[in-house]
Amino acid sequence: MGTIFFELALTLYFAGFILSIVGIIRKKNDLDKAVFFLSLIGFILHTVYLIIRYIKSGQAPVFSMHEANSYFAWSILLVSFLISFSYKVKVLNFGIILSFLIMFIGAFFPRGIPSLKPEIKSFWIDIHAVMAIFGIALFSLAFVFSSLYLIQEKAIKSKKFRGFESILPNLEILDKINYHLIFWGFPLYTIALVVGFIKYVSLVGFMFDPKEIWSFLTWIVYLSIYYLRVKEDWRKKKAAYLTILAFLLVIFGFFGINLLTESFHKPL
Amino acid sequence: MSLTVVGLNHKTAPIEIREKLAFGSKEAIKEALRELIQKENIAEAVILSTCNRVEIYVYSNLSSDKENRETKSIEELIKEFISKFHKIEKSSFENYLYVYKDRQAVEHLFKVTSSLDSMIVGEPQITGQVKESYEIALSERATSLILNHLMNRALFTAKRVRNETRISENPVSVSYAAVGLIRKVFDDLSKKSILLVGAGEMAELALRHLIGNGVKSVYITNRTFERAKELAKEFNGVAVPFENLKENLIKTDIVLCSTAAPNYVITENMLKEVMYLRKYKPIFLIDISVPRNIDPSCNNLDNVYLYNIDDLQAVVDSNILERKKEAERAMIIIKEETEKFFQWINSLESVPVIVSIRNKAEQIRQEELEKFKSKFRDLSPEVLNSIDYLTQSIINKIMHYPTVALKNNCESKEILIYSARRLFGIDNEEE
Repeated sequence: MGTIFFELALTLYFAGFILSIVGIIRKKNDLDKAVFFLSLIGFILHTVYLIIRYIKSGQAPVFSMHEANSYFAWSILLVSFLISFSYKVKVLNFGIILSFLIMFIGAFFPRGIPSLKPEIKSFWIDIHAVMAIFGIALFSLAFVFSSLYLIQEKAIKSKKFRGFESILPNLEILDKINYHLIFWGFPLYTIALVVGFIKYVSLVGFMFDPKEIWSFLTWIVYLSIYYLRVKEDWRKKKAAYLTILAFLLVIFGFFGINLLTESFHKPL
Repeated sequence: MSLTVVGLNHKTAPIEIREKLAFGSKEAIKEALRELIQKENIAEAVILSTCNRVEIYVYSNLSSDKENRETKSIEELIKEFISKFHKIEKSSFENYLYVYKDRQAVEHLFKVTSSLDSMIVGEPQITGQVKESYEIALSERATSLILNHLMNRALFTAKRVRNETRISENPVSVSYAAVGLIRKVFDDLSKKSILLVGAGEMAELALRHLIGNGVKSVYITNRTFERAKELAKEFNGVAVPFENLKENLIKTDIVLCSTAAPNYVITENMLKEVMYLRKYKPIFLIDISVPRNIDPSCNNLDNVYLYNIDDLQAVVDSNILERKKEAERAMIIIKEETEKFFQWINSLESVPVIVSIRNKAEQIRQEELEKFKSKFRDLSPEVLNSIDYLTQSIINKIMHYPTVALKNNCESKEILIYSARRLFGIDNEEE
């Protein structure tokens, strides 16, 4: 099943995770190169793993709890690479920490290929899941960067520096990254919800599923962040707080609803 | 062998003494080096002369039995040389000098080069100055094997200290600290504008740093418009009338305030309105006037960052403290490098080299004999014995002169040993 690729990627992510934590504790950026290469090789192996699963199953490798976590972690790392390159900031360490943790959770779930009911299995359901999780990955990073923004902001405002701030990018960049994450995440998430809703209605007609209601709630919060951010006079600090709140809703939707309720999304 | 450093620095001597002993120009250093290495017992020398320190590093190749009796005189020799070169009485500066020998001298040089001994710990200039002093000594051929290796290790140690500790990371002057803080808020300073309110030495210094960091659009305002115009000319900026302060606050990102006004020039209410009008775009205010010109409660407004002179000083103080802590970590690196240097020095002892060379020769002989024996199996024991004897005596004859030369206490013994190690490939094998 190509599980070896998953194990290898997880191991490399773990190494990157440890180095990142060490760097943060030491308040130095000097391990970044090692973190970069570990993550990059891990990421390539991880990509191979996803492709193998896709070829074997003929469906996007995102449907079981194991698959969803693995693809979630992959998306976060991909976006972290993109951010590091396009803003020329050293933030990959935060991405790999988050990525590893999610991947690690994914390692505990059964790894078999989930069998979707034939009436569900379709191109559109692939699109729905792939986009939803990618959107959530962007939101998760928005959560991380909002937290970093608040830490940096608080240090500057209160004039108390503990050294951790020195490995963070400046406020302007952090805010810009946040803005772009929401800017791209929101439409992806919206499309995923719309596709999912249409598919659901076509299958069971108008009925409400707990996941659906929760996702809609989350969507409303992101809509307000999106609106307030696009409208420029929104104060950056409050946007950061709201982003953190929204993420807590999302993550509950991702893990909590799936596991706790008898919903359509009950993990396979 | 012996290494000696004689010198003084900002901690041991007042400026009046330091300036008298300084070697003001490159030429002066070169001349001094030429004189120094002509002296008997001084093999190599480097002179480091900066505004905070004057140090003379000397390597003497006195043999170890003479060392005990005569090293005292190396130190005296340097003192006399200083006195003669600068034409001042030895007694007038002798008390300000420090003298370190061997291990302490090496450790001292590593500390100096890594900027642990500097007035401002972690300032990067000193490393460059050491490098320059070494280059001058090189050009005068005042250094050889030992000091060349020592200076290179010193520069390497400084590099390690800079990379592995945070010793020179945080700014320790007020105007640099201000720039550092501004960079924590804004990204590309070339797209930001700055407003200088009033004038003053420190404000101008900070402005210069900011312009050096890329700030392009500079606005200057002053109660007397003429003065604003003068400054605008100097900084390539635009003079704006003092009455339009509020309008200007709306369009600038960084404000440097330093006026002689007895009250608040920028109040919280005023800034509240400004923030609304600038759509809460972040603004960084630096108030270096005493009494303060910006209401401290302005810092409570969202996206307003206000620092006064005491805040900046506090940042500087905590950075200095941080550097001191880092200096302790740097000392570990320095001890490590000192140890490595002495390991290298010890490799230049003659007996182990002779033994290694002889062992190597014997090893080659045995290997070749084995090869020979396996090729010609039908030789009688008598013949084999004489071949054994023959090869042994060839090796002994060949080894005779190198052994004698290495055992002799000649002047440039270390160089000879170093060369022998290379010629016979001893270190290659160990690697």
